[in-house]
Amino acid sequence: MSETEQQTKESKLGVKEGAKPIAWYDKNYKKLLILPLVLLILSIAYIGIFYSQNGDFIRKDVSLTGGTTITIFGENTIDIENLRNSLSNEITDFSIRELSDLRSGKQEAIIVESSIDSSILKQALEGILEYELTNENSSIEFTGSSLSNDFYKQLLYAILLSFSFMALVVFFIFGGYWKVKASSVILTLIPVILFSSGVISINIAIIANILVLLFNFIFYLKHSIPSVAVVTSAFADIIMTLALVDLLGITVSSAGIIAFLMLIGYSVDTDIMLTSRLLKRKESEINTRLYNAFKTGMTMTLSSIVAVGVALIFTYTFSETLKQIFTILLIGLGFDLFNTWITNASILKWFLEKKD
Amino acid sequence: MLQYLNGSWRKKIKMVAKLGFKIWLMLIAIVLALLMISPSFEKGAQISYLPQNSTAYEQGLRTGDIITSIDGEPILELQDYSNILSSRFPTEENIKLIITTENNEFILFTNQTPEIIVQDLPSSKIQMGLDLKGGARALVEADKPLNAQELADLIAVTSSRLNVYGLSDIVIRPVSDLSGNNYMLVEIAGSTPKELENLIAKQGKFEAKIGNKTVFEGGNKDVTYVARSGQQSSIYSCNTYTEGEVCSFRFAISLSEEAAERHASITDQLDVNTTNPEYLSEKLNLYLDDKLIDSLFIGKDLKGRTTTQISISGSGRGPTRNEAIEDTKKEMKELQTVLITGSLPFKLKVVKLDTISPLLGEKFTKSILIAGLAAIAAVALIVFLRYRKLNLSLAVLLTAFSEVLIILGIAALIKWNLDLPSIAGIIATIGTGVDQQIVVLDETRSGKQYSMKERIKRALFIIFGAYFTTLFSMLPLYWAGAGLLKGFAVTTIIGISAGVFITRPAFAEIVKRIIKD
Repeated sequence: MSETEQQTKESKLGVKEGAKPIAWYDKNYKKLLILPLVLLILSIAYIGIFYSQNGDFIRKDVSLTGGTTITIFGENTIDIENLRNSLSNEITDFSIRELSDLRSGKQEAIIVESSIDSSILKQALEGILEYELTNENSSIEFTGSSLSNDFYKQLLYAILLSFSFMALVVFFIFGGYWKVKASSVILTLIPVILFSSGVISINIAIIANILVLLFNFIFYLKHSIPSVAVVTSAFADIIMTLALVDLLGITVSSAGIIAFLMLIGYSVDTDIMLTSRLLKRKESEINTRLYNAFKTGMTMTLSSIVAVGVALIFTYTFSETLKQIFTILLIGLGFDLFNTWITNASILKWFLEKKD
Repeated sequence: MLQYLNGSWRKKIKMVAKLGFKIWLMLIAIVLALLMISPSFEKGAQISYLPQNSTAYEQGLRTGDIITSIDGEPILELQDYSNILSSRFPTEENIKLIITTENNEFILFTNQTPEIIVQDLPSSKIQMGLDLKGGARALVEADKPLNAQELADLIAVTSSRLNVYGLSDIVIRPVSDLSGNNYMLVEIAGSTPKELENLIAKQGKFEAKIGNKTVFEGGNKDVTYVARSGQQSSIYSCNTYTEGEVCSFRFAISLSEEAAERHASITDQLDVNTTNPEYLSEKLNLYLDDKLIDSLFIGKDLKGRTTTQISISGSGRGPTRNEAIEDTKKEMKELQTVLITGSLPFKLKVVKLDTISPLLGEKFTKSILIAGLAAIAAVALIVFLRYRKLNLSLAVLLTAFSEVLIILGIAALIKWNLDLPSIAGIIATIGTGVDQQIVVLDETRSGKQYSMKERIKRALFIIFGAYFTTLFSMLPLYWAGAGLLKGFAVTTIIGISAGVFITRPAFAEIVKRIIKD
């Protein structure tokens, strides 16, 4: 097939394939924005209520509150109900889970979590199981409560900082005016340098970065809208995922917080692709460019969802850590489809239509 | 030169030359990565823990030695070693044990399992983190903020304390977090000494006092030598009491001139004990971390004498004789350790202590590998469904694999320990990598009115945009949480950088060829 032949075939297909949805979308894209707006408000409200009831944004596990996790494995299967009953006579605050083999369903390990000190929990378990817990048949993880509080705070800082770094790179790439680019680079670097040389604390560095974003947004509003669309969509991804994670009753570990960080990276990939195609290209109609970007982006996100989903199935019964990372990513990628193609795309289209 | 070769060879050489710089770069990177990883096929069990006062140590065995057979029975892996030893011990009488290592043969006579801990030989140069290969990890915090010098001192003292225990695979390093807190991180691979927490969290302030006057303290300023084996260091008696068994130990130490003179001037002022005329009126009290551990009578001959040779004693207890002996050994070793290393000018607290069994890790690594392969295969299937071209699907598969190889190669090169966060990072990289390959595919296949060069340039613009956002968003994780999650940032940064500079350009080149064909 010659190149021109293929080209005509493709362009025909392109119009035919997407004609109906494009026409519908073209008419309704502004109204569509109500959907993410309502969902975002509901999510923030839910997180707010959750915070007022629980004193925090998430349910934290012992890796973030402090305490002990003991994983017991070995030849003999442990009767989990029996263990629960016996242990509740001695300790009030604990939880027990079971890990089992994916295929045979055979018990692989028992995980006991408690806020108490590792030596006490170990002793109690040894008393009930009637054998010694050694390096051969168990793993013990203990985190002191002062460290885990600190740890949690740090991870929240890391997320805030990551998010503001991401946002500033986005402003740099898509800021329509050289002053936007320059200000985002220079003003970002200053707090970072001051922080790493120990002059200012992390809180001030984060506040400074957020101020830079606001500065760009307010003073260069016209040139900032595409960047703001990307950042808003990433923000909505994280907030909606957080709300759903809380709603599902998931207890988040430090690994879970890593998953939120991964989400920042994953969610902007498609947004950057979309914005580049719409903003930096002139060759065809906005709708055609949007439709082509949509095809690429769907393939991207779907392949990520499939990869994460498959990995989740294979590690589901085995590793709590990976299970949590993959579950949160899966939720986040789902919301990313929604936010990239409704939130980000609609804001961007609105912006471009208005500009023309 | 070419004219001497026959036609098919000439064609092949032309093809190779045609591959182009970018594809060559990826191939070279893959070969280098494989060299870095270089799988090893040696068999045996490697010694990871061997106390310096054990018989095996005295016979010349050392940590790091690879045991290949015991009594002529070959040792291929950890399991063989455990099987052989558990079939021999415990016994009533001493038996002969011939341990063959790679370069030597050692003979032990013993009735107890030798105090050796072994681990499987590494199968490649990729280093697994503690959460995968097992071991112990402790994060230690002082009761006051430490400056760089104090932290360095702490690490020096801790490593000499752990050296006394003959552990080989230890990493001790300072870590700090986003709020500027300093910690000491101790990681011991494979084995976990039972007394680890005591050993690293002890301030280790040893004082020998007469009345309220300090005669000498632990550390090499006052104590020049500590006997740790042979006749000068032993458990010399055990007695049965109603509560259980109590055993006593003693070992010799040498004092510096300065400390010996202090001893002379303090004892000079003492009188002879009225009820017990063999001894002086006051006792020499030994304190460890302000706790009285023993009180020694001072012979009347020692009054006012500059003596450099002193015997230190103490005791341990347990419900049975054997447990009492074990406890006594432990107490003696701890005391010897602090006498050698001296004390720290601050109190320590273990804020995190993980002991992870090596057995779970093996299963873990296997299931992660399977999950990774399945995920890549699933992605290749999606690519095939979308583009209906087997060779494009294979190209995506190949690129994803080479990225994993390159990450593992670089990790082996910089001796990075692959822990769970690092593996999560590799997964994240494959995910974003595939996303970017899809961008390349779609950009090169559409917009045909532009040159291929222009189309690839456009794809690379998007890719670099995504690269820098991910790169910058990973940086804070490098410091957060005392660096325990650093692995995620490290593998992600290695992976996306290798992707942007090596594999993505090569992938674009491959796609260019496939589409042109």
